[in-house]
Amino acid sequence: MQSELRKKLIAAFTNSGTEYLSGQTLADLAGCSRTAIWKHIEELRKEGFEFEAVRKKGYRITNTPENITADEISFGLKTKFVGSNIHYEETLDSTQKVAYRLAYEGAPEGTIVIAEEQLAGRGRMQRKWHSPKYSGIWMSVILRPEIPPQKAPQLTLITAVAVVQAIQETTGLHPQIKWPNDILLSGKKITGILTELQAESDKINSIIIGIGINVNQREEDFPEEIKQIATSILNELGQPVSRAKLIQSLLKNLEKLYLLYLDKGFQPIKLLWESYAISIGEFITARTLNKTINGRALGITEDGVLLMEDEAGTVHHIYSADIDLKGDQV
Amino acid sequence: MLKVQEIRELIKLVDQSSIEEFVYEYDGSKIKMKKTASGSQVATQAVTSAAVKEQSIIEQAEPAKPVQAEKTESVKPSQPEEVKEDSANLHKITSPMVGTFYKSPSPDADAYVKPGAKVTKDSIVCIVEAMKLFNEIEAEINGEIVEVLAEDGQLVEYGQPLFLVKPE
Repeated sequence: MQSELRKKLIAAFTNSGTEYLSGQTLADLAGCSRTAIWKHIEELRKEGFEFEAVRKKGYRITNTPENITADEISFGLKTKFVGSNIHYEETLDSTQKVAYRLAYEGAPEGTIVIAEEQLAGRGRMQRKWHSPKYSGIWMSVILRPEIPPQKAPQLTLITAVAVVQAIQETTGLHPQIKWPNDILLSGKKITGILTELQAESDKINSIIIGIGINVNQREEDFPEEIKQIATSILNELGQPVSRAKLIQSLLKNLEKLYLLYLDKGFQPIKLLWESYAISIGEFITARTLNKTINGRALGITEDGVLLMEDEAGTVHHIYSADIDLKGDQV
Repeated sequence: MLKVQEIRELIKLVDQSSIEEFVYEYDGSKIKMKKTASGSQVATQAVTSAAVKEQSIIEQAEPAKPVQAEKTESVKPSQPEEVKEDSANLHKITSPMVGTFYKSPSPDADAYVKPGAKVTKDSIVCIVEAMKLFNEIEAEINGEIVEVLAEDGQLVEYGQPLFLVKPE
């Protein structure tokens, strides 16, 4: 966890932009001595931040390391609360597990858990999620909305929209959403979202949103069995992307959409979700634990439930399923 | 007239721009989009359950405290109207949301609980999932599982009883 002093320092450099900040100004802002400031700047240098120091003017940050440490994510982050607490680890079994525990212990809303690699990343039904070191974004976000538990699944669609907007903003690519919240580029998966709820029968304690984004993996980094169905931003764009910038954009868009949702309800989110959706109007296959339905995706309901019309003309409400688009080999 | 896909595209563009309002008129048809105008829409949703009679709940965009109170009341399985005599003293664990019932963490794993299993308040008894949101349901009571009322993979309704528990 970042110290409060470090948070204040990073926030000051974020706000100052290209302006210089004197040691005294920083000391006043952070409420500490100039020696303490100097020590923190030395530590940031060791992390890979580059500073320009000019006599009688002060410091400014000229370059940032290509990391996703708490310092790197906070520098340039423009959110009110999402990402204001960052729990960063080099290696974790699963960010979701740690976030789940932190949420249980009372971590504030907007806390994020992030790791360079996950040893036991997982997806739906405990399926393994491949999350190698330094190449992706493996992150969990804790939210505590005051909504009834039965509305919580809508948060997973909100997150999908936030990821699409962040990727568009950062890379110019135009990803699509496959119901409910897989993000695809060129028809292959680049992002998976899995959400867990801590709730009593009528009250949400916390929602833990797990997000895995394939960012800078090269094609050869993918195991043979998922090459056909998964890709990365690097693969599609042809150049690497700053993970910290993508995370900042994601946190900003997630906070914006989350506040919009709390204020106006699901309707504006539904419109955005549908505008990015890949499968609406198409023939798809929905595989659930007990049965498989073939038919046309009609859209989603006001709650985010998938509506599907089968060959006999019956409309099904789909709450959980794996969706195969027409032509999928899976 | 614009196609649905074109309208979606327009929504996307308007959303990303700083425009607050957008009007398009052509050949007698008109499309109007406004960014913050959707505040007052009210959706009506029907909620059914085995124990609770069908009942409509108005969902408002603003946090609606009275509605929540009403829901709380309807979920509590404390008025067993249609319960058989022999299960009158049994506690029901009900589903807090509509979704798919899973008895185990993954298809190959053992069930969380079976009839006869002792549970405590924080024992996980099953998962209910909707739209990749996983809700691990806790027993919220000390006792013994008497009956599992839902099938693995079954769609369960809001408030639907999932387990019968003999309280201790």
